[in-house]
Amino acid sequence: MLGNKWVVFVVALVVWAAFFYSMDKFIMEYQGLPVGADMMPV
Amino acid sequence: MKHSQTLAATAALAAIAFILPEIAMASGEEVVSILEGAPKPSRGDYPVIAGISARTIAWSLAQMHLFLAAFVLAVPLFAISTEMMGVITKDDRYDTMSREFMKITMAAYSLTALVGGGLLLALLVFYPHLMGYMIKVFRGQMLIYAALFGLESITLYIYFYSWDALRRGNRKWFHMSIGLVLNTVGLTLMFVANAWTSFMMSPSGVDAAGAITGTVWEATRNPLWNPLNLHRFLANIAYGGAIVGGYAAYMFLAEKRAEAKAHYDWMGYTSNFIAIIGFLPLPFAGYWLMAEIYAYSQQMGITAMGGILAWLFIIQAVLIGTIMLAANYYLWSGLMRTDRGAEYAKYVKYIAVVIVGGFLVWVTPHSLVLTPSELQVLGGTNHKVLGPLGIMPAKNTAVNLMLVMTFLSFQMFYRSSRVATVSWAKQGNMVIIALYVIGIANIVGAGIYGYFTPTVYKVGASVPQVTTTLMIIVASVVIDVLMLRGAKTEKVHWGRMSERSQYALFVLPVAFTWLMGLMGYIRSSLRTNWHIYTIMKDNSSEAYIPTIGEAGNTITAITLGFMAIMVFVFWLSRLGATKQSEPKQEASS
Repeated sequence: MLGNKWVVFVVALVVWAAFFYSMDKFIMEYQGLPVGADMMPV
Repeated sequence: MKHSQTLAATAALAAIAFILPEIAMASGEEVVSILEGAPKPSRGDYPVIAGISARTIAWSLAQMHLFLAAFVLAVPLFAISTEMMGVITKDDRYDTMSREFMKITMAAYSLTALVGGGLLLALLVFYPHLMGYMIKVFRGQMLIYAALFGLESITLYIYFYSWDALRRGNRKWFHMSIGLVLNTVGLTLMFVANAWTSFMMSPSGVDAAGAITGTVWEATRNPLWNPLNLHRFLANIAYGGAIVGGYAAYMFLAEKRAEAKAHYDWMGYTSNFIAIIGFLPLPFAGYWLMAEIYAYSQQMGITAMGGILAWLFIIQAVLIGTIMLAANYYLWSGLMRTDRGAEYAKYVKYIAVVIVGGFLVWVTPHSLVLTPSELQVLGGTNHKVLGPLGIMPAKNTAVNLMLVMTFLSFQMFYRSSRVATVSWAKQGNMVIIALYVIGIANIVGAGIYGYFTPTVYKVGASVPQVTTTLMIIVASVVIDVLMLRGAKTEKVHWGRMSERSQYALFVLPVAFTWLMGLMGYIRSSLRTNWHIYTIMKDNSSEAYIPTIGEAGNTITAITLGFMAIMVFVFWLSRLGATKQSEPKQEASS
């Protein structure tokens, strides 16, 4: 119905990756920690 | 009890519940500075009775009271939930089990009150100045607590004894409403007691000298109150679930009849489920509590996680790892209940690797206690390879992966008795697998990210890790629910379970009890030599943090004492259901 399961798997990987990336970015920025200004020496 | 009597008693309770807020408001309005400041007792002011260690007595009674109270408050919370499940699913097993949950609570309830009374007496005898001050700060609230306790007793008795009288139809809803009142009162009791405890750690509504400047509400709503409320609420659910799971295991092993074994196997599974549901969000509530402790007083936070008490967090990791391993082992054993379970058994070893690996990371300390020669060989207190695993990004990653894997164990058992019939089942599975792959990568990635960023980012990155774990769980449940609609269900052979698995159910309450004793000690010790942090100093001869060994022995002794009480309660519950057989007729008569 939705096509080959491996195609669905690859699409799902991309969609979940985009979702989690956006979620991480939103949460970090919500905490006042903009991603991009973060990679400073420890 | 007759229906009309139940109705009258409930009406009386409703009236009391209506009056209580009035009393609470009255106590809150009394805003007068009635004290110069907190008392400053000298060493001679602390009564010494026959050389008894006042601290050990108060510590033991407080901890024992907390164990029992946590249990008797938590069980009605999920008993009403399972009772509701019985109404929705029309499955009588839920109702029978809920009643059985309450039966165990009833046996433990009077012991809770007894130990609570003992604690109050011990505090009044050994720490009269502290108690005098606390009573002045919280004024009428202490009376409300006493009234609530009475209300709790009445509702608890009505809820339990009216079970069969109000079992069907509209009466069932009336019965559940009594349970709702019981739980509301029970939670309020806990929140009130939490206010006193958290006030001692983060006092508010008083000035720096301890003079009362605010209302009772201001003292109640101190900075650590809500984090403690949430943490204890969740922990109580997990703890109560673990204890009734232990009861189910006890009964499973004791029963010989297949029907009874099936019932207790199902009860054990449900209890374990409840314990895990309470346990999954617990590390995050603990994280919030700790963050608030740091925010309130950095010194207090460092005492906990960077000072002598930090070592106890390593023991905590061992105990939580034990809980995870035991809970998962029980779930894996459960695969034998279904005929399709064996299909999933091959994945168990991979889950076990992650859980054991996570456990090992969690117990790795950042720095080691070493002899001078060991220090020389190692070249410092940090191990070059393992040292980096001792900091929080590694531990957060480990705990999140362990939680995800525990959920996966649940999911495997759930699916082992269901075969999806929807046309998109294969694709749906692929979406779930992709969710796990990317979610796990995100958790690990956020952990690694913590090593390359400043501390503030390191701490901040733990939030997406937690959210990812919760997202994996929520999204998996949603997809599963949609995918398994109209699924072909296969028989679950309840009772087809190894006896060994029941010992895993026993491990849970023991480890939980130990863990609560340990963490309660840490939380209480954060006040160091203060009765009330920065307000009222402890000048007794025992105002010091005991050695780890001494603390460990005391906690273990209390744990053993509590487990002995629980075995007694289980035995008592079984005894109550045991009937002597009819005497045989004499042949001559």
